[in-house]
Amino acid sequence: MSGALLGGPSAGPLIGPEETLQGIGGAVAAIPLTHPRNRRWWIAFAGAVALLGVFGFTLGYLLYAGPGVWANNNAVVWALDIASYDWWIGVASGSLLVSAVLLLLGAEWRGAVNRIAETLALLATASAGLYPIIHLGRPWFFFWNLPYPNTYDLWPQFRSPLLWDAIDIVAFLVICVSLWFIGMLPDLATLRDRAFVEAMRQSDAKDRTRKLALLRAQIYGIVASGWRGSAAHWQIWVQAYRTVALLGVLLVVSVQTGASVMLAGSLMPGWHSTLLPVSFLVNAVYSGVGVTAAIVVLIRVVYGLDSLVTARHLDVLGRLLLCLGCASAYCYAAEYFDTFLNGDAQARAVLVRRMTGDHALVSWTAILGLVLPAQVLWSARARTTPLAIAMVGLLVAAGAYADHVMVLVVTLTQDFLPSSRLPYGPDPWGIATFAGSIGLFLTLLLLFLRYLPAVSIIESRRLALARAPGTAAAAREAASRATLRPEENPGPAPLWGVSATFASHADLAAALQAVSGISPDQVHLDGHGPVPMPRTLRALGLEGRSILPYALAGALLGGAGFYAMCIYATAYDYVFLIGGRPRLSWPSFVVPSISFAMTTGCIAIHLALLVLNRLPRLNHPAFNIPGFLRASDDRFFLSAEARSDRFDAARFERRLTSLPVEAGRPLEIRRIPR
Amino acid sequence: MAQLFTPGADAIYRLALMTGVACLVGLPVLAAGIVRSNYVTGVGIAPAQPVPFSHKHHSGELGIDCRYCHTTVDKVASAGIPPTHTCMTCHSQIWTGSDMLKPVRDSYAQDKPLEWVRLNKLPQYVYYNHSVHVTKGIGCSTCHGDVTSMQLTYRANAFEMQFCLDCHRAPEKYVRTPDQVWNMNWKPPADQETLGPKLVAQYHIRGGARLTECGICHR
Repeated sequence: MSGALLGGPSAGPLIGPEETLQGIGGAVAAIPLTHPRNRRWWIAFAGAVALLGVFGFTLGYLLYAGPGVWANNNAVVWALDIASYDWWIGVASGSLLVSAVLLLLGAEWRGAVNRIAETLALLATASAGLYPIIHLGRPWFFFWNLPYPNTYDLWPQFRSPLLWDAIDIVAFLVICVSLWFIGMLPDLATLRDRAFVEAMRQSDAKDRTRKLALLRAQIYGIVASGWRGSAAHWQIWVQAYRTVALLGVLLVVSVQTGASVMLAGSLMPGWHSTLLPVSFLVNAVYSGVGVTAAIVVLIRVVYGLDSLVTARHLDVLGRLLLCLGCASAYCYAAEYFDTFLNGDAQARAVLVRRMTGDHALVSWTAILGLVLPAQVLWSARARTTPLAIAMVGLLVAAGAYADHVMVLVVTLTQDFLPSSRLPYGPDPWGIATFAGSIGLFLTLLLLFLRYLPAVSIIESRRLALARAPGTAAAAREAASRATLRPEENPGPAPLWGVSATFASHADLAAALQAVSGISPDQVHLDGHGPVPMPRTLRALGLEGRSILPYALAGALLGGAGFYAMCIYATAYDYVFLIGGRPRLSWPSFVVPSISFAMTTGCIAIHLALLVLNRLPRLNHPAFNIPGFLRASDDRFFLSAEARSDRFDAARFERRLTSLPVEAGRPLEIRRIPR
Repeated sequence: MAQLFTPGADAIYRLALMTGVACLVGLPVLAAGIVRSNYVTGVGIAPAQPVPFSHKHHSGELGIDCRYCHTTVDKVASAGIPPTHTCMTCHSQIWTGSDMLKPVRDSYAQDKPLEWVRLNKLPQYVYYNHSVHVTKGIGCSTCHGDVTSMQLTYRANAFEMQFCLDCHRAPEKYVRTPDQVWNMNWKPPADQETLGPKLVAQYHIRGGARLTECGICHR
């Protein structure tokens, strides 16, 4: 749907016309396996690590001297620390939302963008996650914010957005890691198989080189948890990926609510507004898309992925930026109109101080950075110019940061009480801390680019299959010339089962349909391939299997449990009536309960993904199938595991070979020893 | 086709995963256990003192009143540690040649106080006043245990916040009649449920909300 909505026909295809399944795997996997552009990478890495060193140094000084080093004072209690946190979590929310919404809408072109967006979400969360801890006076007691059985006999204050935020960030980290990892699982298997092929190719190399190559394959293998690309794996994987994305969308709203209600719920002019949570969310998503666009362009240029990240992708990102830019402009306009027409004197004064006061430069950076650059993207030419997209993305990110500083500092420097008005000036340690957190982000990003697939192999392959069905026909034609080799003499080794190789998903599905009549007591059938294989599910009897009940049960139990805990704690066990709030202030428990529900739902999905698929399983007889490594590349395999002595392998093979060439005759049939 | 992993790798991998999960659950539980253990709280541990003073002998067997030594317990915040003079009121007359009491005589002769090892410590950010507790019906043994049975003195309770809150949330469970405050073997009488609230009213203790305000202890 969004493909039609967002991607006009103007900007060319979504994927280069020459891309094949094998080629995509090769192009993407070559980056982590052979490290192209090595010198550039090391230069960039050295710079990032230097910034990370700045981070370490500022954190060390912060722990030694306390948060006073940030030039925060009695009036301006929140400045760059909270601005940086809000900005990072905003970038994370935006990136996560981009990836999750595209996945849920089934936007077919997402493949080139979603992995990068998911990675940015994870890394931005990691950078954000440190701030709530280090801005505490005594960071080593950060866990006092969490409900745990303590010796104080106290509960944390569940009515406070500060607690919501602690729960939110934990939930956000869990969801980001999950979405990123689940999405990457099949790609990790591709990397594993390619690294293994490489290791075997080096079998005559020096002992040390060979061992290193094998170790690399094994590390990818362990992380891939024994993914075999079985039809059953894929079925659950597709559901798990989408469901985690759905949880992520809900969580983004919950997280931004926690972060913005902390401000909006106070009585401070400039914060105390029902619009603030909305503009917070809009600007967060906007900055996330901006950073995603800039990094996508960067990776495309550095690694020459022009045929996977096409001009069409840039066009779509440009349209997204333009939409969000208009939404952001609307939020600003609404705030100004509303305040000047209906606002009270304090609120009007804050707006005037924003534009003309000590921090006018920050405010104008925010307004101009968020509103103006995106307007360039009305031009179709600008939308397909990588440099323009990247520049707009970076300006938007800078504008969003300035917006957070403006909202926090201008309000805090001038409280209602003239006695508590204190100025706030530029603060070198706060800037150094933020620069250091960028160092952390870049270091992790560069490590990701070096060792993991930067573009989703699996999504690009699905796209290539959808766009070029001809490749399968060509492969089948080539295959029809190949000889079928049912082995006459299986040898003395006990038989595990029979395997057959196919060139396409359709052939595999047809063959499985032909042999599906055999009783499951005799044989366990499965299909294996490099992409999800929905057409095999009926023959395998897996139709209707769903991960949703597990996800729903996990989320409902977790959310209800957390909600019940809040009510028990605040209304019964630790009644602490403050600020005129009622004993049972149920609405304030909704946000952290939703966040916690997303966490437990996500954990349930992970467990279901592993348990339903009988994973992790590093060593499996299916790996004995000759050429099975191509199951993560461009071949489809049928495996028939003998379940009893009555299984007649020869008859099974005859049945497969008798299938017509265009409907399921295998390229190759093998008997697999146990 | 070769396998990348041996069949044994699965067992190791799953064991490692389960160990990881067990650690994730187990380590916090272990940490919570250590924090609450006597090793950390010091409950029941009698450290070496300059003189092996026995509360059991002096207070339990000889019947010396608490206030004979801890003279300010019902008057000011601190209960008071007795000066060497207090010991010497008796020990200038009895056991004058005892080796065990040599540090006491030395202290007296050199005018240097004995340095007792402190047992019952509260954090600096906690305000505590002995006199208000003692004069409003909270007995010594509620916090310090049955000192008259301690040959060597040890900490009877870990003074964690939950210990204080237990009573501050429900003082009627612990409050005693004035004559029972010094009774080291006090157990709540059978009618504590009716007596407690009466005493709370009589002592003008404003329980519940007032006593659990942060500023009551953290001033």
